[in-house]
Amino acid sequence: MTEQDQTPVSAREADARVAIDIRAFQAEGRHDAARERYGELVARYQRRAVRIAYHYLRNAADADEAVQDAFIKAYMHIGTFREDLPFEVWFTRILINGCLDRIKARRRRERWLAPPMLDAAGVERDPAEYVPSRGPSPEDLVLADERHNRLMDAVAELPERQRMVFMLSHIDGRTSREVSAMTGLNESTVRVHLFRAIRRLRGLLVAPTVKGTVAGRSKRANR
Amino acid sequence: MRIADVLFRQGHLSDETLTAVLLDGDRPAHLNRCDRCSGRLRELGRWLDDLRSEALAAADEAFPPERLALQQAQILRRLEQLDEPSRVIAFPAHVAAAPRTDTERRVAPAWVGVAAAAGLVMGLIGGQVWATLEPQRPAPPAVQADQPETMTPPGQPVNAELLDYDFERHVPDPLVFFDEITPALTQGQYAAR
Repeated sequence: MTEQDQTPVSAREADARVAIDIRAFQAEGRHDAARERYGELVARYQRRAVRIAYHYLRNAADADEAVQDAFIKAYMHIGTFREDLPFEVWFTRILINGCLDRIKARRRRERWLAPPMLDAAGVERDPAEYVPSRGPSPEDLVLADERHNRLMDAVAELPERQRMVFMLSHIDGRTSREVSAMTGLNESTVRVHLFRAIRRLRGLLVAPTVKGTVAGRSKRANR
Repeated sequence: MRIADVLFRQGHLSDETLTAVLLDGDRPAHLNRCDRCSGRLRELGRWLDDLRSEALAAADEAFPPERLALQQAQILRRLEQLDEPSRVIAFPAHVAAAPRTDTERRVAPAWVGVAAAAGLVMGLIGGQVWATLEPQRPAPPAVQADQPETMTPPGQPVNAELLDYDFERHVPDPLVFFDEITPALTQGQYAAR
C-alpha cells in the first residue's frame, strides 16, 4: 500500500541504528555528533510530520511549532525509545499528543479572544497588511482556495478520532495496525472510525443529490 | 454479501462494503458480474485518490522546501541550545567535595546548633543581669503645656466636669480676636429665622 510496507524492515532497522548511535553519543557527551545523526531522522520524517500536523491543526504556524516541539521532545527522550517499535510510530504518537494539546489550548484561548486573521497559507497576519493589496483580488483568492477549503472544512467537521484515523490511514497511508500502535486504539476500532470518516466525507463533499442519503446515514452512524 | 445488501439494495453492494473492498482488498464475486457496483467501486477509489492528492498538495503548498529547510535549521538550533546552555552557574558542590588538608578540622553539625543555643542563653542572662546592675535613670518631666488645669493627673479618677469640657470651643489666646468677629453657624441659622 505504501513505501513503508514495501521495505518496512530496512527502514525500521535504520531508524533503530540511528537511535542507538544518538544515545551512545549523548552518553559520551558528543552532542554535536548526536545532533548531526538526529538531523537524518528529522530530514526523513519532517515532511510527513508537517502534513499530519497541518491537517490536524489547520494552521501552518501552529503546525510548524507542533512539529518542532515534537522533534525536540523525541530527541530529549530518545533514551526511552524502544527499538522493537518503529521510530515513526513512536514519533507520530508524540506529534499527535502535541497537536491535541495545542487544539485544547486553542479552544481555551478562543473563548476569550477574537479569532486571528489568517492568510491563504494559514499564517496569522497583521490586519493592517490586508488593506492596500497589490496581489490577486479577494474573489480570486477565494476561488483558488475553494476546493482546498472545502476539503479542509469537511475534514475539520469529522469527530476528533475519525479525523485522526482518516489522516493517518488515508492521507499518510498507514495500515490499521500502524494506526492502532500510533493512536492506542484497537485495530477494529480504527477500521470502524475509518469507515465512518469516509462515509461522512462523502456526504459532505460529493454532489448534493447523493449527499442527502449518505449524510443521513452518517448521522446515524456517528451516534 | 451482506443480508442487508440483498434485502434493501436488490443484491447491490453498500458503500461500506465497497470501502472495505478498497481498504482490505477482499473482492466479492458480485463485483465481477455487476457493472453498476464495479463502476461505483471505481468511482469511490478515484474519489479517495483525489482526496488524498488534494490533501497532500494543500499541505505541501503551505510547507514548500524552503520552509522545511528553515524549520530543520530551527530544530537543530533549539537542540544545540538544549545541549549547550549558554550560562550555567553550578552550585558549589565541588568546594565541599574538595580534599581536606590536615590543618582543617571537621566540626560536627550538631555542635554548631549547641553553640548557637548556648550563645542565645548567655545573651539573655547577660542582658537581665546588666539591666539590674544599671543605675536608675531619672524619669523625663511630664509635658503640661496647653492642657487645661482641670485635667486629671494619671492614675486619678476622671473628673466629671472634664467630660463636659468642649475641647473644640477652646480657642488659643492669639486667635480669640478672630473667633469673636466670626459668627458661629448656629447664630447664622437663628438670624435667618
